[in-house]
Amino acid sequence: MLKIAKEKMPELLNAWAKIGKLYVPQDQDGVSNFLPWDGKGKLTLGQGNSVLPPKDLFFPRTETMYRYQRSGGALSLEEVVENEKQILVGIRSCDARSIALLDDVFLTKGYVDEFYRRRRENTLIVALACNVAQDTCFCTSFGIDPGRAEGVDIQVWEVDGSYILEAGTEKGRELLGQAPALLMEAGEGGLPEAPACNLKVDLAGVTEKLQQMFEHPFWAQICRKCLGCGLCTYLCPTCHCFDIQSENRGDSGIKFRCWDSCMFSEYTRMAGGHNPRPSKKERVRNRFLHKLQYFPERYGKFGCVGCGRCLSYCPVNMDITRIIGGIKEVDLNG
Amino acid sequence: MVEAVARANPLVPELGKIIKIVDETPDVKTFHITTEKGKPFTPLPGQLAMLSILDVGEAMFSITSQGPEHLELAIKKVGMLTEALHEAEVGQTVGIRGPYGNGFPLEMLVGKDLLFIGGGIGLAPVRSLINYCAEHREQFGHMWIIYGARSPADLCFKEDLFQNWPRVPNCRVDVTVDKGDENWTGPEGFVPAFVEKLNPSPKGKIAVTCGPPIMIKFVLQSLEKLGFQDDQIITTLEMRMKCGIGKCGRCNLGSRYVCLDGPVFTLAQLKQLPNEY
Amino acid sequence: MNTLTEKMRALARELLEKGEVKYIIGWEKGSLWYQSPPVFIDRPEDAGRLIWDEFCVNNLAKYLLDDKYLEGRVGLFVKGCDARGINRLLQDRQVERDKFYLMGIVCPGVKDPRQAAGLSIEQREEVPLAAKCLYCAHPEPVVYDVLLNEAGEAYRPKRPAGERFEDVAALEAMSPDERYEFWARQYQRCIRCYACRNVCPACNCRECIFDRSQSGWVGKRMAGSENAFYGLTRAWHVAGRCIECGECERVCPMGIPIMTLNKKIIKELNELFGEYEAGVSLEAEPPLGRYRTDDPDFS
Repeated sequence: MLKIAKEKMPELLNAWAKIGKLYVPQDQDGVSNFLPWDGKGKLTLGQGNSVLPPKDLFFPRTETMYRYQRSGGALSLEEVVENEKQILVGIRSCDARSIALLDDVFLTKGYVDEFYRRRRENTLIVALACNVAQDTCFCTSFGIDPGRAEGVDIQVWEVDGSYILEAGTEKGRELLGQAPALLMEAGEGGLPEAPACNLKVDLAGVTEKLQQMFEHPFWAQICRKCLGCGLCTYLCPTCHCFDIQSENRGDSGIKFRCWDSCMFSEYTRMAGGHNPRPSKKERVRNRFLHKLQYFPERYGKFGCVGCGRCLSYCPVNMDITRIIGGIKEVDLNG
Repeated sequence: MVEAVARANPLVPELGKIIKIVDETPDVKTFHITTEKGKPFTPLPGQLAMLSILDVGEAMFSITSQGPEHLELAIKKVGMLTEALHEAEVGQTVGIRGPYGNGFPLEMLVGKDLLFIGGGIGLAPVRSLINYCAEHREQFGHMWIIYGARSPADLCFKEDLFQNWPRVPNCRVDVTVDKGDENWTGPEGFVPAFVEKLNPSPKGKIAVTCGPPIMIKFVLQSLEKLGFQDDQIITTLEMRMKCGIGKCGRCNLGSRYVCLDGPVFTLAQLKQLPNEY
Repeated sequence: MNTLTEKMRALARELLEKGEVKYIIGWEKGSLWYQSPPVFIDRPEDAGRLIWDEFCVNNLAKYLLDDKYLEGRVGLFVKGCDARGINRLLQDRQVERDKFYLMGIVCPGVKDPRQAAGLSIEQREEVPLAAKCLYCAHPEPVVYDVLLNEAGEAYRPKRPAGERFEDVAALEAMSPDERYEFWARQYQRCIRCYACRNVCPACNCRECIFDRSQSGWVGKRMAGSENAFYGLTRAWHVAGRCIECGECERVCPMGIPIMTLNKKIIKELNELFGEYEAGVSLEAEPPLGRYRTDDPDFS
């Protein structure tokens, strides 16, 4: 294990930023997000979760898929291939799990999403262990260890004014080897104890129960306060829905994909007007069933990681921990 | 990182051309599409294709038939893309990708008598199966096609209905219209009632039905009345789709994606899924 | 339990028992001590869930749009700004006055739960008043059927002496290039979640143009220009109709100072058409929603 003093971290980031485009949580106008590091930003490492999850790096808000050009009568098409190296520094264990879940979606079940795969394979991930749980954290309910992230290239812990770094993969070892002057041997010394979460959910039997709850009046009840905005879906690290659209300028244009939200009416509305999920009841139901029933059925894992973003930011506090509690309380015979 | 193997990107279409347009009804046209290398791909009956006019939009359509060098897609005018397609002329460049979806479960149909029930443009996906069965005639039992449209003008695939399919050995075709005109001498009435009147026996049969949702709903009731079991009934679903490969999320029925695990389902399978289509 | 909470529960129970209302919209306690989200109470025995505290930040008026065709009345609690939201909906002919029963609360100002995150309940007093309450001129509901507490100094928020258009002045002090850079940076962050629109009582179109991406007016690409087009379109659409409840800015996860944009427009409208506060009076028409021959632009 290696070590670097906290105040030296920007230097390490500077060194790594020469290897690839480096993203690290920074403050912009009071909002903490993963932003490209230019050596001058205000780091928010060690504070709570970023507002937006890091999924943006693999599955950008907007991504050009291909360009087309008309010249004379002929039309040509060119795929956009993004192979830039990225280094993602400071993600938490919950977000690391979310990337594993996105891998299931984009890389398995018959088709590989090439846009996602390229960005994913070109990204090194450096996780930072949590020393403190936020009020809204409940990752431990999903078996996530806030003190050690899954499947990352480097794990970092903050201990007494220093960062301790440990490589988890060969690529991580290589990255640590890139800045030998800045890193020293950590020596002996314990790692900080992972914090306990304030919020907990009991997930036992939830999926099986939901399999019998599709028509239950529960959904008509819980959807009432939902405003039908897309905030939860965009801040959710595991939500992966997208739209594909084109934008034209004269004889040329682009086909892009962008985040989309199952909470929007247009999402499932078909040409001709039929909408299988016409009101917020169906949309809210679909969102929670997706996280708690459909995702487990399809991929064998819950589609929630307990990052708490929706709890912190939903304008009306649609609280998934309470909804899970409510599901547990439903009397199916009642 | 160097790409060792060039991979095909399933979200990027191939460019193709419309080589023939057939006017089926006032609002349905069949488009014959090919690419420079020939047929874009070889779909199974009931599979789907994502067709685009690049600067307008992209949408999923059932593939209604295929030739050695082309695919055929029968498309009804309902929205922006389909309107643009209806205005297109032979030679128009299109994007096409696929095939998507499961297609009809041929292994389940082999050796069985087949009852095809279609309404309006809903004959499009079923037509690919009818043509397959006609080409592999010895593998299937009796074929019975029951089809209906709003009016004689709205009948799709007239050449098939009145010339090609009646000539297929051991195949019967019955056509109805909701309301006839002065030249119409055939039966009148809605498809579900027509099916009940024709009274096909469920014995050894598989029914394949496709049409407008309201028609499907009542045809299913009629079939149940006639004694068909849930695993003897096959239908296809339509949902809004964007990616076609089970990633973009919107065509889910429970944990299944219609673009990937559908669009063909037995009624028995559908009854296991949320009623949200 | 505070007396206001007790009054709310008693009244809600009574209204539901007598069948005066079909259901009540109020606030309840969330998972955390600083969360008091909206709640719908259908049965008298559930009235005990209702609460009043400084985190009852949500404006409940907008929910009336979800049940326009209800047979019977809805009961809801309104703070000062919520009541202006009611007037907004009435003036926009979105709801009918006899369809709801308003229980007014003179509001001492509320607190933004996001600003309480990380604090313990013992630090309750340290949570600042929500930004939207700092300049509130109408803590008393402007419309109600019954008032649950009395207006008085005790309910007056301790506002700083700050000026209502302070943020606007800062913006106006910038050069056009600086201003452009400022807004470009803000809207670069926008994720188009439409929380600002959905929480806004003035955004009450039955179908929003931004839910029809096929219309071609605005692209779905989440890029600065398209996002800013959304922000500007919405700002113009609520021009003269914004009730200054500040909910749009409060709910924005990306910290975009949406109220600065709205206030700039309010300031301009005031200068052009005379002082006007939307939603305060049903009789006073919105400056852009009336037609007069003495209008400065009339010729």
